[in-house]
Amino acid sequence: MRKPKFPIIHVWWDELCELVKDEGILIFVVLLPLAYPLLYAMIYDTETQRELPVCVVDENMSDRSRDFIRRVDATPEVQIAAHCTSMAEAQELMRRRDVYGILLIPREFDLRLWRGQQTVVGLYSDLTSMLYYKVAYLGIINVAQELNRNIKVIERQANTTAREEEVARWPIRFEEVKLYNSAGGFAAFLIPPVLMLILQQALCLGVGMSMGRSRERFRGLVIPPSKYYKSTLAIVLGKGLVYFLLFLLMGFYMAVCVTRWFGLPQLGHFWDLFSFFVPYLLACTYMAIFYSSFIYRREDCILLFVFMSIPLLFLSGVSWPGSAIPPLWKAVGAVFPSTWGLNAYVRIQGMGASLGDCQTEIMALWILAAIYFLLSCLIYMFEIRKAVGRSIFN
Amino acid sequence: MKETNHNQPLAYDSSRQEHERGIAAAIRALWHITRRELRTFGQRPIFLIIMFVAPLGFLWMFTSLMQAGLPTKLPAALVDEDDTHVTRQLTRILGTMEETNFVVQTKSFTEAREAMQRGEVYAIFCIPKGTTEKALTQRQPVISFYTNDSYYVPASLLMKDMRKMGEMAGLAMTRATMRAKGFRDDQIMGTLQPIVIEAHPLGNAYLNYSVVLSNLIVPGLLMIVIMLTTSYTFGNEWKRGKQKKLYNMGKGNIGIIILGKLLPQTMLYTIIFWLIDLVFYSYLQFPCACGVPRMMLWGFLAVLSSQGFGLLMFEAFPGQMRMAMSACSLLGVMQFSLAGFSFPVSAMALPFQWLSNIFPLHHYFLIYVNQALNGYSISYVWTSVVALVAIYLLPQFFAFRLEDALLNKEYKE
Repeated sequence: MRKPKFPIIHVWWDELCELVKDEGILIFVVLLPLAYPLLYAMIYDTETQRELPVCVVDENMSDRSRDFIRRVDATPEVQIAAHCTSMAEAQELMRRRDVYGILLIPREFDLRLWRGQQTVVGLYSDLTSMLYYKVAYLGIINVAQELNRNIKVIERQANTTAREEEVARWPIRFEEVKLYNSAGGFAAFLIPPVLMLILQQALCLGVGMSMGRSRERFRGLVIPPSKYYKSTLAIVLGKGLVYFLLFLLMGFYMAVCVTRWFGLPQLGHFWDLFSFFVPYLLACTYMAIFYSSFIYRREDCILLFVFMSIPLLFLSGVSWPGSAIPPLWKAVGAVFPSTWGLNAYVRIQGMGASLGDCQTEIMALWILAAIYFLLSCLIYMFEIRKAVGRSIFN
Repeated sequence: MKETNHNQPLAYDSSRQEHERGIAAAIRALWHITRRELRTFGQRPIFLIIMFVAPLGFLWMFTSLMQAGLPTKLPAALVDEDDTHVTRQLTRILGTMEETNFVVQTKSFTEAREAMQRGEVYAIFCIPKGTTEKALTQRQPVISFYTNDSYYVPASLLMKDMRKMGEMAGLAMTRATMRAKGFRDDQIMGTLQPIVIEAHPLGNAYLNYSVVLSNLIVPGLLMIVIMLTTSYTFGNEWKRGKQKKLYNMGKGNIGIIILGKLLPQTMLYTIIFWLIDLVFYSYLQFPCACGVPRMMLWGFLAVLSSQGFGLLMFEAFPGQMRMAMSACSLLGVMQFSLAGFSFPVSAMALPFQWLSNIFPLHHYFLIYVNQALNGYSISYVWTSVVALVAIYLLPQFFAFRLEDALLNKEYKE
C-alpha cells in the first residue's frame, strides 16, 4: 500500500500499523478496555450482601423473643443460620466463619418489656468487611423499630381510633430516598468510575509500551529516522489521534454497551457524554504521551502505571469522600485527568447532570489537556533536536 | 573438580567430599547470582523507585489521606420550606450531629438538587411546607431525605444520621405528649424505645475505615509490586540476552537460580513489609491483637507468596516478560476486588468465590482479620496459611518450564 503524503497522516498511519502488529500493545489498548469492564461488572453484579448468616443466643426463650428472631430471619438482609445455647458456642461459630454476627437476646428480655422498661439486645458483628456490619445492623434495627412502634401503640398508649394509632405510631413520617442508585448497590456505585479509570490506565499502558519500544528500536529516541518525523506538531497530533479515536470508541463501548448490559445508571445525554469524553480522552492521551517519554524500556511502563490505579481511585474522591481528603492530596489528585473525569462521568451518566453542572470538571479537563499537549510538544521538540544532533535524518 | 575426585583413595570419602564441595559450590553460585542481582538494582533507577519510593509513598499517602478514620461533617443541603421555630430546632439538632454539615440552606428543592448534581452536597434533608402545623394538630407530616448513592460511603454515613433524626423527631413529639400526661422520664423511655439495639463492631470499635483500608491497600500494593518485579527481574535476563549466562552461573541448578534471583528481593520486601507493620501497629496504634512479631511473620509469608505468584505467571509465559507482567498486572489489580474487604467475597457469584482463592492478598486478608483484628487462634485460618505456602511452592513444580526457557528461548519483542 502506498504511504500517505502528509506528515500527520503518515505518523498516524505508522502508529496505527505498529499498534495492530504488536500484541503487547493490543492487550492493553483493546483487550483490557473490552474485557476488564465485563469482569468487574460481573464481580459486583450481585450489588449487595443478602441473607447474611447470623446466629442467635436466645437466653430468654419466650414467645416475644421468638417473635423477634422470626422477624429478623424474615428480613432480606439477615438469615438466622444457627441457634446457640451460650455465647461461647456462638463465638466458636464466629471464629470458624460459619456466621458473621451474633444476636444476643438477654434473659430478662420480655420481663422488662412487660414492666414497661427498656431492654437491650446485643449485636456482635464481624468486621471482615464493613458491609457485614452495615447489613446486619440495618436488618436488625429495622425489626427493632417496627416492634417498638407496635409496643408503643398497642401496649403502652391507649388509643381509640385506627387513625389515632397510626399517628401514634408515626407522629412524623419520614421517607428515605436513595437517589441515582436505588438499590444502594456496589456495582452502580463503583463500576461507572472504574470504567473511566480503566480508560486512562489502558491509555497510559498502551502509549507507554509504544514509546518504550520506539526508544529500544531507535537507540533511545522516540521517533524513527524518517523525513516525515520533523514537525513536532505533526508527530504529536498524528500519534495522539490514533489513541484518541480508538479510545473514543472504547469510551462509547463502556458508556453504552457495558452500562446497558449490566443495568448501570444511564441518565446522560449523548452530546453531554460526547462533550465530556473529548476533553477527558485528550487529557488522558497527552498525559500518557508526556509521562511515557520518561520510559526507556517497554516493560517499564507496566511497573510504573499499573499500581497507580488504586491510589488514583482514592484521590478522585469517589470511594473516599472528597470532602474528607486533605488539601495536599487534593492538589496531587488535580494533576491527573482521572480525578476530574471520574466525577464528571458519574455526574453526567449516573446523576443526569448537565454540562453546566460539571463546568469546573470540564474546564479542568480542557486545561489539563492543553498543558499535557504543550508538554508533549516540548518533549518531541527536544527529541527531534536530539535526533538532528545525531544526524539520523538523511 | 571431578578429576581430583578420581585421585581420592576411598570411595566413601570421595562421595562425601564431593557432596560437601557441591554444597559449597551451590552456595558460591547462589552468592554470585545474588550479587549480580543486587548490581542490577543499582544500575536501574526504576527498580529503586518501584521498590522503595512507591510502597513507602503509598504508606504515607493512605495513612494521611484517611487520617480522620471515619469521615465526619459531610456536606449536605437543607431545604426548609416551612421555616418555623420548630423546624429550626430540628435542623439545629441535625446540625450538631457527627456526620452532617449543612453547607447549603435553601427554600427550594430544585436549588438543592442542582447543588447535588454539581457535587457540592451528598444529601438533601427536606422539610416541606406545613410540617409544623400538621405536627401540632396531629396530622402526621412527612419529612424526607435524599442521599446520593453514587457516592457510597458518604451516602451511607449521612443516611444513618438522617434516619436517626427522622426517628427522633417523631419520638420527641410523643415524649412531649407523654410528659403532658404526667409520665416519668424512665417510663417515657420504656415506651418510646422498648427494645434498644446495642451494636458491637468487633475488633474495630470506632469503625475506623483507615484501619481496615490502609491495612489492606498498602500491603496489597506492595504485593502487586512484588509480583511485577519478580516477573520483571526474570524477564530482564532474556531481554538482555543473559539467560544462558545465568544458567551457567547457577551450574544448571534451577533451584539455585530461582533462589539466588529472588533472595535480594525477598529480603528487601520483607524489610519494607515490616516497616509498614511497625508504622501501622506501633506508631499509628492500629488494633493488633496478636502482637507485632506475629504480623511480621505473616507479612514475610505474604512476600514469599507474592513472589511465588509472580514466578508462576512467568512460568506460564516462560521467557516472555511482557506477557507475564501483563498477566501479573491484570490479576494483581483484580485481587483488590476479590480480597473481599470492601465488597465481601461471600456476596459474589460462586465462580468469583473460587477464583478469590488463588490470590495471596485474599489469604493475607483472612489471616490479618483473624489475627490482628480479632485475635483468634491461627488454627481457624490454617487453610489460608497453607494456601500462602502453596502459592510460594507451586512454581517449583513448573521449574522445568523455566529451565527449558533458559536454554532454548530468546527474547521476543
